[in-house]
Amino acid sequence: MVASELTQYVVTGLLVGGVYALMSIGLALIFGVMRVVNFAQGDFMMLGMYLTYYYAVVLGIDPLVGALVTIPPFFVIGLLVHRVFLARVTGGGDPNREMDAQLILTLGMSLIITNATTMILSPMPRAIRTTYATRAFAVGPLLLNQARTYAFFMALLLAAAVYVFLTRTDLGKALRAAADDPEAASYQAINVRAMHGVAFGVGIALVAAAGGLLATYYPIEPNVAVNFIVLMFVAVVLGGLGSIPGAFVGGLAIGLVQSLTLLVLPLQLQNVGVFVAFLLVLYVRPQGLFGRRARTV
Amino acid sequence: MASRSREWLAIAAVVAVGLVLSFAVTERYHHRVLTLVFLWATMGLAWNIISGYAGQISFGHQAFFGIGAYVTVLLAAKLKITPWLGMLGGVGVAVLAAVLIGTPTFRLAGIYFGLATLAYPLIFRIVMDYLGYQEVAIPMMREQPGLFMQFSEPRYFDLLALGILAATLVLSRIIETSRLGYSLRAIKENEQAAEAMGVDSFRCKMIAYMLSAAPAAVAGAVYAHAILFVVTPEAVFGVLVIVQTLTVCLVGGAGTLWGPIIGAAIMIPVSEILDTTVGDRLPGIQGVVYGAALMAVMMYAPEGLYWRVRSMILARTRRSVGAARPAPTAAEVHATTPAVPAGARSVLMDVRGISKSFLGLQALSDVSFDVREGEILGIIGPNGAGKTTLFNVLNGFLLAEHGEVHWLGKSITGLQPHVICRLGIGRTFQVMRLFPHLTVLENVMVGAFAHGASPDRARVSSLAALDLVGLADRADVVPTGLTTLELRLMELARCLATRPRLILLDEPLAGLSTDGVELMALMIRRARAAGVTVAIIEHTIHALVRLADRLVVLDQGRRLAEGLPGEVTRTPAVIEAYLGTRWLARHGAPQHAEDLRP
Amino acid sequence: MLKISGLSVSYGGLHALEDVSLEVAEGEFVTIVGPNGAGKTTLMKAVSGSIRGATGRLEFRGRDMTSLPAHQRAALGIAHVPEGRRIFSSLTVLENLELGSYRRAARAKRAEGLEAVLALFPVLRERRQQLAGSLSGGEQQMVALGRGLMAQPDLLLLDEPSQGLGPRVVEQTFETIDRIRKSRRLTILLVEQRVVEALELCDRGYVLETGRVALEGAHDALLADPRVQRAYLGV
Repeated sequence: MVASELTQYVVTGLLVGGVYALMSIGLALIFGVMRVVNFAQGDFMMLGMYLTYYYAVVLGIDPLVGALVTIPPFFVIGLLVHRVFLARVTGGGDPNREMDAQLILTLGMSLIITNATTMILSPMPRAIRTTYATRAFAVGPLLLNQARTYAFFMALLLAAAVYVFLTRTDLGKALRAAADDPEAASYQAINVRAMHGVAFGVGIALVAAAGGLLATYYPIEPNVAVNFIVLMFVAVVLGGLGSIPGAFVGGLAIGLVQSLTLLVLPLQLQNVGVFVAFLLVLYVRPQGLFGRRARTV
Repeated sequence: MASRSREWLAIAAVVAVGLVLSFAVTERYHHRVLTLVFLWATMGLAWNIISGYAGQISFGHQAFFGIGAYVTVLLAAKLKITPWLGMLGGVGVAVLAAVLIGTPTFRLAGIYFGLATLAYPLIFRIVMDYLGYQEVAIPMMREQPGLFMQFSEPRYFDLLALGILAATLVLSRIIETSRLGYSLRAIKENEQAAEAMGVDSFRCKMIAYMLSAAPAAVAGAVYAHAILFVVTPEAVFGVLVIVQTLTVCLVGGAGTLWGPIIGAAIMIPVSEILDTTVGDRLPGIQGVVYGAALMAVMMYAPEGLYWRVRSMILARTRRSVGAARPAPTAAEVHATTPAVPAGARSVLMDVRGISKSFLGLQALSDVSFDVREGEILGIIGPNGAGKTTLFNVLNGFLLAEHGEVHWLGKSITGLQPHVICRLGIGRTFQVMRLFPHLTVLENVMVGAFAHGASPDRARVSSLAALDLVGLADRADVVPTGLTTLELRLMELARCLATRPRLILLDEPLAGLSTDGVELMALMIRRARAAGVTVAIIEHTIHALVRLADRLVVLDQGRRLAEGLPGEVTRTPAVIEAYLGTRWLARHGAPQHAEDLRP
Repeated sequence: MLKISGLSVSYGGLHALEDVSLEVAEGEFVTIVGPNGAGKTTLMKAVSGSIRGATGRLEFRGRDMTSLPAHQRAALGIAHVPEGRRIFSSLTVLENLELGSYRRAARAKRAEGLEAVLALFPVLRERRQQLAGSLSGGEQQMVALGRGLMAQPDLLLLDEPSQGLGPRVVEQTFETIDRIRKSRRLTILLVEQRVVEALELCDRGYVLETGRVALEGAHDALLADPRVQRAYLGV
């Protein structure tokens, strides 16, 4: 194995990992603030891909820009979905039951979104044609697919924007406070229920944008969610459930794992490497890299 | 008992209805729906064993379904082994898989368990694809179709599926009424409390998991032969399998036999009919229906239809239960402390030098005292003194860093909670954990099983415990209607049903009215009269001062004083611990109790 | 400023508070003492709105607060410094303090409020970029108090500020509370286990015992009253 070949795998893995990282940040934010595992995260990503496709094909907007433009509508959708559905599910007052009930609710949402999309739009895969999807940058001996490279940098940009939002704005800090200690947050006049809505809105918006970026090089079809939802889970658990920097690092790591698995396993078994990594993390260090200590029985 | 045979009759009735339907129905398509209803009800019941009764929500049960399908079909296709035998092989592999998956995974709590179970069928799906088993067709056996589970008459498939459903119903009912079933439900409600009552939770969960894998594998095998004919990884390891299982169970209600049946009876026909009528124009309609059902249930009836309807019916027919107070007997009213002087009692438990710290905070520091037979020992101290931590160490939930605990002369330091319970040490908790879907009697029975009793003997000793605390007339009521006092008494009865020699009561008097405190104190004395030694943690010192024979005072993890209540509450160090150094300096320690009267 | 009438709280049948009535006038410093399980923290939570299921009447500045959720009461000018401090351990000291002034009325005065708090607790100025969770108990106490002050509150609720702290830090805490009282015109309701320190600082006090008000009076009267001891020890 030549060093440059190995480096190629690493670089490809990182480029892909950047977009995974963006997807995972959304999931981590929702879990951190609301303690809900959003099973529908992949499905909202799929919707983001379709919206970006619409922008590209009907309005002629380049998907890299289109991805950004999915953010406002999806933020609003997230707020509404939270208000109408999630906020109504309390599981009878018991916080544990509430978490379980909200999780099943998001599973139901996921089913509806995927299947309704299949019903309304055809299941035929679509793709956005761009000039850069098939070209690559040559950096020394390495080849970097242009679409993936642009997507990677856009993902970094968005992640940086999220970072600034969470650390420099009042609303962002209030979100983090609501995640840290909801009761104490309410004593600071922070409306924790509203924070849940904002977290859900931002989480959905981020994953929709990630979908838009993904659409620059990945085919768009209703069932795309299932390929990525587990990757997102793994990334978030690896980074530590609820930790946003953790989810970012986790996403990059999963991209690497996926890519490096190809060194030992055939393409068909690529995701097996990811799933085995998932199990290892859960068994050996369930709190992940940056998470707080998880309870074991 | 009447209600027990009633349940068996109901099961027989359901099977009879299934038979009638099977024979009444003529169209091939309707038979298919019937078969599916029975199969998914079976799968739901299987999932229910681990996730409904034991509360360990599994997102990976399709692993066993798929194993059953693949093993049976591959044995038939490659080795010409009849699926009637091949199914047994499928069950064997599935149960083995359950052991292998369960062993590392039961250590994980809550959501982590569910996520881990998710990974396995995903892996199996990919591996089967990779190994070249993307499509395994069941070979047509024209000569001996029956031997190879290939019936031309669709009715036989229904009957087969009904047979499996019946067997799984019987299995579920047996579990429900057995000791395992009570232990599982106790684990679901509060694993720690269950352990304190003698339940070995890992072993119980593992057995439940194995028992839930078997019917799932059989269902998978029959599904492959009745519906699929060609087995693909997606069809048996895929998401739709777990979705249908979850929907059937959650819509109907988990934790009961009837839930999956109700859920299957409603959901399967609806989705199948929609699929055949509009499925071509609207592909994916099934997924939408299941998704909508899950969302609707979570928003409006999260416990499931069975429980929701049941509580509505119970609410209407509830007898108004007056606050019946067990009355003390005349002898008890005039009772004085037992004749045996404190010093002459033998030592049951010897606590020596216990120290425990958490995250740098020293919760307990070199605590030593003993508990003597037949006494009521009170353990008091200001907040943060470490009282509950002490009980957690004595009980086996926490491991002390230094020191030892001896019980009847032998060391019990470091033993597991359920072992300690079986040695004769019982425990109640500050926050009451009841099992809301079981009756009061059944709640108490969980404790009675600690000594390996059969369900009948457990029932007898539970009734005796309820009698002692005066709750015998509440035995068949569900605990949600009880007052705090009655709940505390029930918890005491549950603790007593483990037939302990010593009980550790954690704040049994907190929040009770004056009458309630009196009554509770009376019951504690009754327990002592029945031969049980009592150690109580309390904040409300007032009642304890009259109830306890001796007091041990803890402050900031240290033992501050030990002795008779009257002495201890006049000890300067104790006054200082509760009211501060400066109060003590101002007021001094009272010489006589009269000094404090207004 | 704060008037509580007939407050009763029960959690599923457990009577935490029964028919408690008390008042805090504007500018007053009132203390509530009593042993554990007396209901002191429940009372605080009933005032700040984080428990539901309270019956009775709660008035703040003459306005009925009973149906308002916690965050809206905080927005009105009630700052609750909770038991155990409950600072945001994954945020920095500075972020904790800034969040104290999240409510609209305090946001405008954030900069000057911050200066005042840092002047009161110079140690925090050095530690302002540190994660709050990494601070010592006493320093966390300062952050909690500072966060409460940043809200420019009209009513400051202090729930057992001495809990879990070493003796020297406790002394400093009480000194600080005294200083705060003297330098700003705040109305303070303090709940404490340490009887003498709490009674010395306040104007008036109440003694809670098993969910009821057992004694009340001016601070010096209570300090001299041996009946307070009975509330704690039962004899």
